[in-house]
Amino acid sequence: MKLNRSWFTRAGVALFALALLYPFTALFAHVGPWQWGPDVRGPALASIRVSLLLTTFAMVIIVALGTPVAAYIARRRARERVLWQALLLLPILLPPLALGILLTLAFGSYGTVGAWLERYGILMTNSATAFVTTQVYVGMGYYVLGAVAALDAVPTMLQKQAALLGLTPWRVFLRVTLPLSRLGLAVALSIAWVRAIGEFGAVVVTAYYPSGMPVQIWVNLQSFGLPAVMPLLVVFLAVALPLPWLIHVLAQRRRHV
Amino acid sequence: MFSAQILKTRREMKVDVSLQLAPGESVGLFGASGAGKSTVLTCVAGIEEPDDGRVKLGTVQFFPPSLPLHCRPVGYLTQAPDLFPHLTVGENVSFGIPRQLRATKEQTSWIETLRDRLQLGPLWRAPASLISGGQARRVSLARMLARKPPLVLLDEPFAGLDRQLVRELIDDLISWSRALGFSMIAVDHQAEVLRRLCPQRAVVLENGKIVQSGTWEELHKNPATSMLRALLAPL
Repeated sequence: MKLNRSWFTRAGVALFALALLYPFTALFAHVGPWQWGPDVRGPALASIRVSLLLTTFAMVIIVALGTPVAAYIARRRARERVLWQALLLLPILLPPLALGILLTLAFGSYGTVGAWLERYGILMTNSATAFVTTQVYVGMGYYVLGAVAALDAVPTMLQKQAALLGLTPWRVFLRVTLPLSRLGLAVALSIAWVRAIGEFGAVVVTAYYPSGMPVQIWVNLQSFGLPAVMPLLVVFLAVALPLPWLIHVLAQRRRHV
Repeated sequence: MFSAQILKTRREMKVDVSLQLAPGESVGLFGASGAGKSTVLTCVAGIEEPDDGRVKLGTVQFFPPSLPLHCRPVGYLTQAPDLFPHLTVGENVSFGIPRQLRATKEQTSWIETLRDRLQLGPLWRAPASLISGGQARRVSLARMLARKPPLVLLDEPFAGLDRQLVRELIDDLISWSRALGFSMIAVDHQAEVLRRLCPQRAVVLENGKIVQSGTWEELHKNPATSMLRALLAPL
């Protein structure tokens, strides 16, 4: 009886997964022979390089800035915390295209910060800096909100006990908070990663060049049609999935908890 | 010498307590539930900050200003064991010992003493998240004592342990206190346990105030309040 129920539940989840993956059957749709000639392959490989390299860089910034901010918010009282959470929701609540427009206006040549950065040779449109900046804005809210929940789940008393055992705040974070929240932090990071690497609406406004994979998919669709899009979709899945998946695998190698 | 004057308003109760302990001395804070006993310990440990007062151990001033937790030379055993669930029992016990000291002969021998006296040998490599409540209390006691703190705060340290083990632990704590010279402030609602652990002196709290202090005999002969008389009845 117990076995039957377990198999019934598993079948239900499998059905759910099938429904979730159903759109991927379109990869086998008849769209004509897939194109992977030199004029498609060259820009595609360049876009993969751009996406992987710059998204990784954006994630480093997100983790470095977002983790201490999340740790701060996680220890605030509920009233203050909801205020910070509302602020973090703002950039991710906006339609990506609108966020791209706002970023261009704020950081472009006519904006105060943009004009100031341009004086030092830092271009905030159609540049690697613009690409990374956009991805940071797109992914930061997801990471910090997830990280706040993960850090908040660590019992405060355990951290205080560790401090009373002589550990400095930094070492308490490394030896207690981080190990106990790593699964949640990994989920937050992987969501930020998939959100940033797949971002199109904001990036197409701020950084059409250098083209990342989502922009390249758009370019291929416009220039060559679906036969040039399909191989890039497969490549996109192949290169974008391993990192967040690996983060989950590593985080789940829990020792005893 | 440890001295503390703690003023703390908690919900509707105002805690106002003064304590002094000589090195190696032990004192039992006694009183009914909600009398403010645990608040005194949390204010000394730094888990919460007093509203006013002064807390000092030797030359180290805990408050004011509030000394960071990692700089306070105290061991604090809470009502819940608060073990680190991602570590083994052995790793929990050695947690507060600086890496460079872990391999020294003296430290290794002290850890082995704690392990043997607290019967932790068979559990040493077990995950802390998978041991029983009573075992967890013994582990947290070992973890606190591993650092040999000069002041030990015990908040109902033997809850959930069997009587025989409690007797053995009390004897051990008293002999360790003599050997290492640490002072103890213990809180327990069982007069019998507290009297064995802190035979020299007891301080009785009611509604956040000290209503009586002295030896257990003095308290027993002339209890200041009817509530205290009732609490001391099992002795």
